[in-house]
This record gives sequence, C-alpha cells and structure tokens, in this order.
Amino acid sequence: MSQSNLNYIKKDLPTSLQKIGFLLIGIGVIGGAGAFLLNAEQAAFNYLLGFMFLMSIGVGALFLISLEYVAGADWSTPLRRVIEFTASITPFLIILAIPILLNMHTLFHWSHTEVVESDKILKEKAPYLNQTFFFIRVAIVFALWTLFYFLLTRNSRKQDISKDQNLTRVNIRLSAVFIPLFAITASIASIDWMMSLEPHWFSTIFGVYFFSGSVLSALAVITYATVKLREGGYLHPRMVKDHYYSLGSLLFVFVNFWGYIAFSQYMLIWYANLPEETFWFLARWQGSWIYISLALIFVHFIVPYSILLSQPAKMDAKKLKFASLWILFAHLLDLYWLILPTFKGESTLLNFVLGLSFPVAAVGGIILLFYFNSKKTNMVPVGDPKLERGLNFRL
Amino acid sequence: MNIDYSQELPVVEGRLTLREINDLIARPMDERPNKKYFIALSFTLSLLFIGAISVALTLYYGIGMWGNNQPVGWAFDIVNFVFWVGIGHAGTLISAILFLLRQKWRTGIARFAEAMTIFAVMCAAIFPILHTGRMWVAVVYLLPYPNQHSLWVNFSSPLIWDVFAVSTYFAVSLVFWYVGLIPDFATLRDTTASKIKKVIYSIFSLGWRHSHRNWQHYEKSYMLLAGFATPLVLSVHTIVSFDFAVSILPGWHTTIFPPYFVAGAIFSGFAMVVTVLIFVRKIFDLENIITINHLEKMNKVILATGMMVGYAYAMEFFIAWYSGNPIEQFVFINRAFGPYAWAYWIMVSCNVIFPQFFWIKKIRRSIPIMLMIVIFVNIGMWFERFVITVTSLHRDFLPSSWGYYTPTLVDFGVLIGSFGLFFTLVLLFTKTLPVVSISEVKAVAEGAQPSHNGGDH
Repeated sequence: MSQSNLNYIKKDLPTSLQKIGFLLIGIGVIGGAGAFLLNAEQAAFNYLLGFMFLMSIGVGALFLISLEYVAGADWSTPLRRVIEFTASITPFLIILAIPILLNMHTLFHWSHTEVVESDKILKEKAPYLNQTFFFIRVAIVFALWTLFYFLLTRNSRKQDISKDQNLTRVNIRLSAVFIPLFAITASIASIDWMMSLEPHWFSTIFGVYFFSGSVLSALAVITYATVKLREGGYLHPRMVKDHYYSLGSLLFVFVNFWGYIAFSQYMLIWYANLPEETFWFLARWQGSWIYISLALIFVHFIVPYSILLSQPAKMDAKKLKFASLWILFAHLLDLYWLILPTFKGESTLLNFVLGLSFPVAAVGGIILLFYFNSKKTNMVPVGDPKLERGLNFRL
Repeated sequence: MNIDYSQELPVVEGRLTLREINDLIARPMDERPNKKYFIALSFTLSLLFIGAISVALTLYYGIGMWGNNQPVGWAFDIVNFVFWVGIGHAGTLISAILFLLRQKWRTGIARFAEAMTIFAVMCAAIFPILHTGRMWVAVVYLLPYPNQHSLWVNFSSPLIWDVFAVSTYFAVSLVFWYVGLIPDFATLRDTTASKIKKVIYSIFSLGWRHSHRNWQHYEKSYMLLAGFATPLVLSVHTIVSFDFAVSILPGWHTTIFPPYFVAGAIFSGFAMVVTVLIFVRKIFDLENIITINHLEKMNKVILATGMMVGYAYAMEFFIAWYSGNPIEQFVFINRAFGPYAWAYWIMVSCNVIFPQFFWIKKIRRSIPIMLMIVIFVNIGMWFERFVITVTSLHRDFLPSSWGYYTPTLVDFGVLIGSFGLFFTLVLLFTKTLPVVSISEVKAVAEGAQPSHNGGDH
C-alpha cells in the first residue's frame, strides 16, 4: 500500500459525540455551580480534583508524544493523533486554573500570611510557598506545556501535507528538550497543587508518584479512544491486535509502576515512623478514609493487574476498554485520596454527589476535544515517515 | 547525517552470511589464546592476588583492619557491595526488559551483559560476607533454618531481605543466561573439531536438536524467564535502597530512594557494559555485530538515567530545605560543603555533568570520548554510594560524635581484588563461551525477518 492511499482518512466523528460532550459539560457546570452555592469550601476541593484529573491526563499524553519521538517508536505512530488529541487539554489548563487561584485561601493553608507568621516551619518555607512565586510558577509551567504542545502538534500536522522528514527531526529534538523540562515542571506542579495542600508534609518521591498516575491515566484515555475509534473505522484498518497489545502492555507496566511507587512511599514512611511524615498517612487512615486507602490497593493495583496480566487480555478489545475505564476511575479515586482529606469541614451526601460534577465535566471536555480536533485534523498522521513501519508493526 | 525515518536501521551491519556469523563468534574459542591475552590475564590475576592478601589479612586480624570507625560503622563494605550490585543490573535489564520491549539491538550485547551481571553479583557478595566477621558461621544469621533454639534471623531487617533478593536474582540470572546459551552450545557442538570439546558441549546443550519443537519451548521459557527477571531487577536495588531508607538517619531516609537507586543501577551498569564492550568488539572483530549504533543507543540510556539520578539529587536537596527540618538541612549542606565536599563534587560532575556531553551525536558515536565519559560514570557512581554512606554517618547528631573516615590499604586491597575477580572472570568468559548469542544474532541479520519487505505475514 503506497503512501498516497492513506490520504482518505479524514472522517468527522459523529455529531452525537458533540451532544454527549455538551450534555456532560452542562451537567457538570450546573452541578458545579450548585456545589459552590451549597458549600464553597468543599466545592473548591472538588474543583481541584477535576482540574488535576484533566492536568494529569493532558500532560501525561504530551509526555507520551515526546516519548514516541525520542525512543524512535513506530508502533504508536498510527495512533499518535489520538495521543495528540488527548494532549490538547494542556492549553486550556491555564484558564481552568483561574477558579482555583481565586479560591487560593480556601485551598492552601500557607497562603494566609497571618498563619505563616505564627508557624515556624511555614515561615521557613515562605520563600517557596508564597502567592507571588506560586503564580509565577503556575504561569511558567503552563506556558511551557502549552508551547511544547503547539510546537509538537503543529509540526505533526504540517507533515500531513508536506511529508517532510525534517519535521520529524525537529520534533525529535523538541521532545528531547521537553522530557527533562517535563520532569521538572511536572514535579513542581505536583508539589504546588497537591503536596502543598498539607504544607508541613514532604516526600521526595511525590513528583514520581504524580508522574506514574499521570501517564497511566493518559494511557487509559488513549487506549479507550484508540480501541473505540478503530472499531468505528476511524483509524487505519491495518492497525491490528499487535498495536492493542502494545497499549495493553504499557497500561500493565504503568499499573505496576504506580504500585511500586505508591508502595515505596508508604513502606518507607511507615517503617521509619517519624511523626513529621506519618501524620499525612494517618489522616488517610481515620474515619471512613481507611476504606478508601484500602480500596486504593485493590482498585488501583490488584484489579487492573489481574485483568491485564495475561497475554491474550492485552490484545482483547473488550478487556482493554473495560480496563481503561476502570483505571480512569482508579486514578480519580487516587486523586480524591490525595486531595480531599485536606478538606476538614462537614460534608453531606448531596455535597458529595454535586462534587462529582467536576470530573463529569472533565470527561465531557475530553470528548468535545476529540470531536473538534477530528474536524480539523486527520485521524492518522498520514505524512509521518514512520507510518508505514508503524502499520506493518507485528509482534 | 540524515536518517531516513521510513526505514528501520539494520541491527547487524554488512550482509554477513549465517556461516560468517557462526565463525566470527566461535573463533575466540577455537583459537589458542595469544600473548596479549596472557598479559591481560596476568594483570587481572595480580589484582585478584592483592585482593586475596587483603581478604586473608581481614580474616586473620579481623575487620579492624578496615578504616571503619565510630561513627562511620559502614563504609567500603557497603559502598562496594552497592556498587557491584548496581553494575549487575544492566545485564538483566538488557536481556529481560529490552527483550520484553522487543528491542532487537539487544541481541548483540545481551549475552555479554548477562555474564557481567553474574560476575558483578559474585563480586558484590564478597563484601557483606566479609563484614559478617566470622563468615563460616554467617549461615546462622543470614539464612533462616529450623533449629531447636528458636534462633531466627532478623526478618524485619532489609539486610536480610537483601540476602534473599540478591541470591534469587543471582539464581534467576544464571538460569536465564544458561537457557540462552543452550542453542549456542548445540551449534558449537555441531561445528567443533575437538573431541573433548564436543563432549562438553554435548552435555551442556541438553540434547538440543534445533527442531521446531525445541525452539517453541525455548521461546516460551525465555519469555517467562524474562517476565520473572524483570520485577527481580527492580526489587534487588529497591531492597538495597531500603538498607538505607528505612532508617531514620537524615540523608538516608527519603522516599525517592527506591526508584533513584534503580535508575542509578541501570546508569552504572550500562556504563560498565559500554566500557567493556568497546574493547571486546575491537579485539574480537565484532564491529559488525556490536555496531556503533548499539553503543550510541546505550549512551542515550546513560544520558537518560544520568538525568534521572540528577533529578533525584536535586529533589533530595530541595526537599531537605523544604522540609524545614534543620538536621536534614545540615546533612545536605554538609554533604556539599563539608569535609567530604570533594567526594560530593566528584559524584555530581561525573554523574550529572559529564554525561551531558552525550547530547551531542558526534560524541555519542566517538569511541575515545565515549570511553572517557563512561569511565567517569563508573567512578561517579562508586562515589555516589560513598557519599550516601559516609557523609550521612560521619557527623552524628552530637558534635562530640563527629569523626572522619579514611580507608586503609586493606580496604583498597579488597576493592582492587574485586575488580581483579571481575575482569579475570570476564577474560575467561571470552575464551570459553560465545560472547554474543549466535542464534539470536542470526535471527536479526539482514534478510532473516519474515516480514522484511513489509506487509502481513
């Protein structure tokens, strides 16, 4: 099959997707508004949850794009557009962050200057944990991610028409620069948005922990979307089970990686038993939080591990779809476990249900991004020199 | 140089015929060793001899012969142990993890790297066993065995987990290595002219007939072993990191230690593999099989893992400040600017700064510069363990318990001896076994792939 035959792939996704997307966002916005009216403090934490959900998926996907270029992988080239669509979350993050920045004082204990004054440890941390520097960091981090998102995807889209191999070369270089920057910025983002919720607590592995969840959830979105789109005939017919297998393996690897990092963090803090570290886990062991802590082991590790362990399962479309959705739920639970224990106020069932509207809106947003991206971009990077190799990829 | 991205790079350069591959790899085993080989061997044996004398002195007079003191109760013994175990990581990483990732370029280097793993773990074992003092009774406190006195090992100590982790790792690596060797033993059995060798190869090839069924079983068991070996690679250095990190000592207790140690192990292991392969490919004319592309790929891995290690250094430093804990902060300032600052800056420059040269493609592909950088990495990674161990210990919580550790000649002697052991085994290996997997290289040679011209098969 020659390169020119590949050009036919430009299909719009069904308009029903647009309806679903807008519906979910509508539910999310109404529910979210209700949540803010009912209990603004809890709503702010739930908003942060939805925001972190989007951020981790978006930047995880951006990392996966650059990983493909740097590693010289070819199997993922036929589905790179799916990864790019997922990464298109990143430019929106800066706008979505505004409500959080407006609720700074609700979320971040350290943002109260009078509290910092009376707290010896926070006073020492003030050169890092202060509002001005926080805003600067947020701006730099999101600007960098957005910049690299636009550069990488613009070159990829240009290649659809020009078929210029130089663009691949440029993207390889960009990716090689981006990956170390990503390591630094993602660590900063995870410390700023989540670790600093408990400003006294610290853990050197926290950035890696965020990274593992981020890439895992991005992979889950990508896997689900790839399988769905392939079944709907939107991706190339020569994409077969071997490609699924690679996605399944990656999911499996990152399930294990997350388990490894989570275990390392818990094990070392538990064993050393220093009160300055253990209080964070103790807060997640009190009241009903103990059930969520324990559930996390099963939901985030044991269940997806068992689903994806066998070789046939990694190629099975049905199991992959189920595992991806399951992992996304697990990731949400993980973020909930990371963020919500900091909220110390009273909660009702209604508050809890309304809090779910933020992740619902996030899912709607991802669906809409896929819909609108597919309108202006080929679903397959038809000009990529590695595409033929990628389509020929067999185990 | 412009690469055509629509084509995959050939793994084996030049169009070698299968017969040529056979002969090229089997040649060192058929020829008599030359003079240079004996010079090299006598050099490594001398190192080993120095080590033997130092070990004898240690055993006769006790471990008081070492520089260990109060407060530095752990020094060269653990430093060298972690160093060698780290080197032992590249082998199984290359053979198991790269196999699972279907990286074809691993075929040329896997066998050698696996052998180095086994030798490095043997070197590593010397140190903790020596440090137990009367090692002939070490079995009592290292291995749990049923006894009437209910005398049990301390199961809650990561040091005992090390015994299990490292010995399991060693056993699985050995089996993995041997399974990979079976088809090659059979090839050698079929081609050798010597009768004695034929008997030996026949025994070790376990009746291999190159039949379809043989290969089917082989592929399956190789895949399974790779699956087993992968978590083992990670677990070994994770547990080694626990030796330090489960304690409450500032500088040791930090949560990033497990992944950081694993990355460092891969880093140092790859550096050692590159160091040795540079010579092996030259001496045995294997430049077509262990190509410059393979070395470049390994240098990329070194660059990547070097930056991971650099990330961990930076994160440790940042969190030491961020924690607001004055003792934690003191330890890190002391590490970088205290009496052991020299060791710290050797570590940082060798592990983080020098590998940055690998950003440049020309340097990644230049043998002399590459050799220099990987040797720096080897040095740097040894110093990393030295910095972690000694700087965290030498200034205890009370200034009255501050001290300085200086290694003795015996300390150096045992270290030199471990290098002697390692390189002696490497030299013997090159003359007795195929240093590259004959069967695997044949499978990736040009023209061997079933779907070579594209399309489904």
